[in-house]
Order: sequence, then C-alpha cells, then structure tokens
Amino acid sequence: MTTVDTINPEKRSTGEQLLRLARKNKLSTFGLIMFLVIVLAAIFAPLIAPHDPLEQNILARLQDRSPEYILGTDTFGRDTFSRILYGLRISLLIGLTSTVLAMILGCALGIIAGYRGGWIDSVIMRCMDMLLAFPTLITGLFIVAVLGANFVNIVLAITVTILPKFARVARAPTIALKEREFVEAARALGFSDLRIMALHIAPNIVGEVVVLASLWAAYAIRIEAYLSFIGLGVAPPTPTLGTMIRDGFEHILDAPFVSIYPGFAVLLVVLSLNLVGDGLRDAIDPKLRD
Amino acid sequence: MNVIKTTMAAALMATSALSLPTIAQAQDLTMAIAAKSAGQLDPHVSTKTQDKIVFAMIFNGLVRFAPGSMSSDAIEPDLAESWTSSEDGLVWEFKLREGVQFHGGYGELTAEDVVYSLTRAGNPDLSSVSSDYKAFKSVEAIDDYTVRITLSEVIPSVLGVVANYHGGNMVSKKAGEELGESFQTNPVGTGPFAFSQLAEGQFVELVAHEDYFRGAPEIDKITARYMSAASARDLAFQTGELHMIAGSREDRWVDKTSGGDATVAVFEPGELRTLHVNTSKPPFDDIRVRQALAHAINREELIAFAGSKVARGNEAPVPDGYIGHESDITFLPYDPEKAKALLAEAGYPDGVEIPIAITELASLFGPMQVIQAQLSKVGMNIKFDVMEHSAWHKAIRDDVSPLVLYGAARFPVADTYLTQFYHSDSIVKTPTAVTNFSHCDMADDQIVAARSEPNKEMQQQYWSEAQQILVDNVCSVPLFELLQVWALAPEIDLGYELGGSLSLGPVITEKTTLSE
Repeated sequence: MTTVDTINPEKRSTGEQLLRLARKNKLSTFGLIMFLVIVLAAIFAPLIAPHDPLEQNILARLQDRSPEYILGTDTFGRDTFSRILYGLRISLLIGLTSTVLAMILGCALGIIAGYRGGWIDSVIMRCMDMLLAFPTLITGLFIVAVLGANFVNIVLAITVTILPKFARVARAPTIALKEREFVEAARALGFSDLRIMALHIAPNIVGEVVVLASLWAAYAIRIEAYLSFIGLGVAPPTPTLGTMIRDGFEHILDAPFVSIYPGFAVLLVVLSLNLVGDGLRDAIDPKLRD
Repeated sequence: MNVIKTTMAAALMATSALSLPTIAQAQDLTMAIAAKSAGQLDPHVSTKTQDKIVFAMIFNGLVRFAPGSMSSDAIEPDLAESWTSSEDGLVWEFKLREGVQFHGGYGELTAEDVVYSLTRAGNPDLSSVSSDYKAFKSVEAIDDYTVRITLSEVIPSVLGVVANYHGGNMVSKKAGEELGESFQTNPVGTGPFAFSQLAEGQFVELVAHEDYFRGAPEIDKITARYMSAASARDLAFQTGELHMIAGSREDRWVDKTSGGDATVAVFEPGELRTLHVNTSKPPFDDIRVRQALAHAINREELIAFAGSKVARGNEAPVPDGYIGHESDITFLPYDPEKAKALLAEAGYPDGVEIPIAITELASLFGPMQVIQAQLSKVGMNIKFDVMEHSAWHKAIRDDVSPLVLYGAARFPVADTYLTQFYHSDSIVKTPTAVTNFSHCDMADDQIVAARSEPNKEMQQQYWSEAQQILVDNVCSVPLFELLQVWALAPEIDLGYELGGSLSLGPVITEKTTLSE
C-alpha cells in the first residue's frame, strides 16, 4: 500500500478497487466466479439441461447417478440435474428480485427517515422495528400462508422480511451525511429534498448497501428454500431448490441423493454469495484496508 | 482386579435379575399411525383413517367381521349371540350376550345401550354415517338382552351396519349421556382395550380391559403414536422403538422393509383412487372434454408409480372385492391422440388450463402429479392449489375443484360407494351432501332399485348397469386401488391371519402377544 493510497483513498476508481480486491482476496474472487458460473448455468438452462425438467419417467424413478441421469432421478423419474438448473432459475430469480426490491424500498425508507428526522423518522423506524421483532422466517411464513403460495407472494414475503434491515443500514449514514457541507450547499442552492436524497445522499451509501445486499441475497435464497421446503413454495411441477429437497424427503432413508443434490446446489449459491459479500465488505471497510 | 471383576459381574447379574421380571411382565405394544393427530375418538363422528384402527380395539358391534377378514361371509357373533329376521327382511331381532362389561365401571351392556348407540349413529346432527341408518324405522329394547330393529325398506346389508364398523360400534348409554360432547375425548366401549389417555398430536394410549368378555387381553398397554412423516416412522421402527407402523404404499418400501426379520403385511381393502370430474362446470360440462380426460390418463403408469405389489388397476367405479363390483366394464382406454382430437373438437385446440385444489398428503399428491404430467401432454394444464389436508377436505366439499382425486374404502357393498359418490342426494353443497363431487345423477334409478331388490342377480344387474352408466358419462375416472401396508416386528403374534381389515390396520385383539 502506497502513501498516496492511504492519504487519498477516494481517488481510486471502482474498477481499480475491484482489481485490487481480486488480487488481494482470492477466496472472494473464487466466490464471484462460482456465482457467475451458477448464474450462467441458470440462464442457459434450456441449452445445458440434458432432459426436460418436467418429463416424467416413472419406470426410472429414484435412480442414483448414471450416464443418462448425471445426478439421478427423483420420485417421478425426472432428471435431477436438469431440475436443479431450472430450479436455480426460479430460486435465483426469487432471491435476487426480492433482495433488489427490498434494497430499493428499504433504502428509500431509511434515507427518508434519516433525512427528515422527527415524527416521520419515528413512524418509519418503529414500523421497521415491528417487522424486525418477528423472527424473520415467521414473517415470511405468515405472509405466504395468508396470501397464498405463488411467485409474486413469495417475492413479496421475502422482500418484507429483509426490508427493515436495509432501512436501518441506510438511515444511520444518512443522519451523518445530512450534516455534511455538500448537503448544506445543495440545500442552499434550493434543491428539493427529493433531489438531495436521491442524487446526493443515496450515491454515498450505495456501496455499503450493495455489500449487505450480496449477503442478504444469499439469505433470501435460503428463505425461498425454507418456504418451499415446508410446502409454501411455487406449486409443482415447477422446480425450485426447496421443493426438490422437500420432494426427496419422503425417501431420505432409501434414496437420500434426491434431496442431497439440490441441497448442495443451495449450499453453493449461498456460499458463493457469502464469499462475494465478505470480500466486498473487506474492500469497503477502511479499517481492513491495510 | 479380580475383586472388581467379581463385583461388577455380581452387580450385572443383580441388575439383570431385577430387570428380567419387569421385561417379562410389560407387554407394552407401541405402534405408529400415519397422521398428525387423532380426528375425533367417537366412532359415530369420525370415519377418519387414523381413528378407525383405534375404534376397532375399543368397541364391539352386534356382529363382527372375523379378525383379519373383511368379507361379509365372515361375519360372526360379537355382542349379539344370535339373530333372526322376518321373512320380508324388515324385522330383525338380536339376542345379546350376557355379562358384557363396559370400560371404566360403566356397567353391563344391555339392550338400552344398543338402542342408544344405533339411534345415535342414525342422528344426522351428530353422526357422519347417519345415511346408513335411514331405513331404520325403529330400534327397540324388548327386554334387557333383546333388541328389535324394524326397517322401512329392505337394505342391502343389515348385518353390515350393525357390525363393528363406523355406526355399528356400540357405546355406553350412561357414558354418552354423562359425558356429552366430551365423549369424543373419552370414549367408552366394550372392546379388549379401554381408552386411557390422548396427548393431542402425539399419541393415544389404550390399556387392557380385564373384564373383556372374550377374556383378558395378553397385551397390557397399547401406545399408538401419531407420526405423519414416513421417514420418522421407519426410523423408529428400525431402531426397535415401535412394534408396528403404517407403511408407505410402494413396492420400494415393501422390498426394503421386508428385507430383515420384520414382516410387511399387504392386505385388503384396496382403497380405490378415483378422479372425480365435476360435470356441472366448464370445461368438464362438455362430455368430449371428459372423454379426452379419460383417454389422456395412463393407468399402467400410475400403477407402476406405486408398484404392482401394493397397487392394482380398476376401471369400475366400485372397488374390487365389494359385493356388486363389476369387473367387465367397457371403458375409454389410454389414447393421447384421441384425447387431443376430442379436446380440439370441444373448442380447445390450444389446450385448456384447469386450476384444481389438491392436498399436500403424499399418497394423493404423488399420483396427482403423475396425472398432471400425463394431462399436460394432451394440452390440459393442471394448476395446483396445494392445501393442508383438512383444508383440502373442506375445499372439495365447497365444490371449488373441477377435479378431485379421492381415495376411499367403504363398507364392502356396492351400494355404499355408489350412494355416497354418485347418487344425486350426495352431491356436495346440498343439504344431504356426502361426497358426490361429480354432480352426476344419471345412475340414481339403478342405485335405488338395487338397494331394495331381493333377487341377488337382479341386484347385481342394477349395480353393473349403474357402473357402466357412470363410466360412459365419465363422471369419474377410477384409476387404481392401493392395498393397506403395515410393518410388524417379529415379536408380534397377532393371533389371527391378516387377510383384510376394514379398520385399515392390524387390529390388536385379546389374543395378540408380544414375545421377547
């Protein structure tokens, strides 16, 4: 680390930062590559999958690995590998959509609360506290159980579950930032509050939030798997990782592989996202820079 | 060292000497039922699978199916020693056994208890099987040990409805009146085992009824645990924690479990899985769409899904082995091309989407997913609304699902099945509703005519006709029958040959023993 860096860290571009990070933190780079491979595999599932994920072959049910079925077959004789690829699509889509939604909404609420202060702050943050008071899974479970299990409601449930965390993370730096000179200046220029919040405060906290988003995306994917596992997932035959684990559970003693492979897929996704998140956090945290 | 060894040996011997007699004494049988909890422990209220097996150990009927059998030919005296019927079959007199004691000091069973029980079973406000007793004009106690039943019309099997099954189970009048509603949680009967306690969602405990009229039972206590997860039952059975478990009805499971020294019993009755089709609402109000449905379903594949040891095909609306079952039915065979053509002809050339309600219970949800895949090949796209089992039972009775996959075993006479599933009186959401999900009424005449037809051949002919009409109209698609599967530890000796059991499980009788 050079002296220039230490004195003037903000000078470096994001690209440079990332490169530096990649060199320094090999594990996170590995996580990032793993995540990209998983995402690509999910996107190109129709090209990669050797079988139709919905095609049943009752006579070949519950088979272990074979050249024809790389990861074996499930209760209905469907190809587990193909189902995992397609399942990843749904699981990632649900996980990432809900994280992005929660990030946007949560940050908006957090910034408004922090910037405005007073009763608005109290109302917003007490609502967030209320949501946080429930164990996360219970909130999600409640929403899906009441509204019914489908794609939109599951996304909604996960969004609501992790939204308060984003609100909290966004609020604290906002309170600090609003006292800074550049915000004062913007105010003096007569900019509207909305413009100040969106263009001057938000960009300054986005880094921190994105780091947490990558960690919570992993969490969101896990919630999706939980909900599907207890039967509150997307309706069959659509494969999701959680439903696949659940389907195999009935045969956990005699054909454990039916649950294990999709379980392993969840592990890989969550692990890769966590590695990426950890790396990003280290990169942004000034205390860990040296 | 030697001293220590001797002491240890002595200590060991002492403990084994102490524990041996207790092991020999404790004839505690533990079993697991495939359910989350008990339904209602009142034989006139509940017809749920998890309760039937418990009732069979607590209660007696006037007559009974010999243990291990469910054939009407094997009906033998139970609480009644003998019976006579008038020539026209309308008046029946039962002579009761003397000295039969109820559990828990509720005294001797007399004709009053029988009158009370049968009246209770026929009371539509309380009983879920009251329709079985519609033809009972009166039930009277002639003296303490004689009961006379007068019918308003001839019914297919009088002995059937006074046997140890559903409404035929005899309860104590005194207990029933004293306990009222709470009889459901404290049932009192005359059977070999008395109700002791119920831990909701965990287990029900029965203890030996020492005064049982066939002799005191060998087993002292039965603990029947409620375990809905098949893998949990398997694990507990393998570790020797349970003597008897409800099995998974598939060949894989049977092969795996019967590998060791445990016995897997596969027995009657076959529960017929039927796909009921709501003929009153689109798209299935069009017979061509129903025919397309029938042509799209591949029975062979469904049987293969469970396996041929535990499943067998059936094309008739009445299960195999029931009196009146017609095995020679003309049905629509598997023909996906024809199904597509019919669907196009009916105005759905691009396929049709069908939202249906389905239970999360694997034994129905599994086959339904196979059917879903089969139907999707001809353009019928089933969208599932997956529900908790009891919520689903409610939903299908609210007529929300155009297709209902239902599995049931009933009293083994065609009339019960045909009446409950295909007679217009039983149509769901009507005051007299039972389980007619198809809204079919075209076989009403034959069903009613068969009921009071004294000539057996004519009766069979009516029943056959009714079944053919229902198949021709595709009121339902009868698919396959699943037999009962239980695993028994080698130390159990039931004391009878298990060929069939209307209570859907191996009944523990006074003769059942547990060896070391």
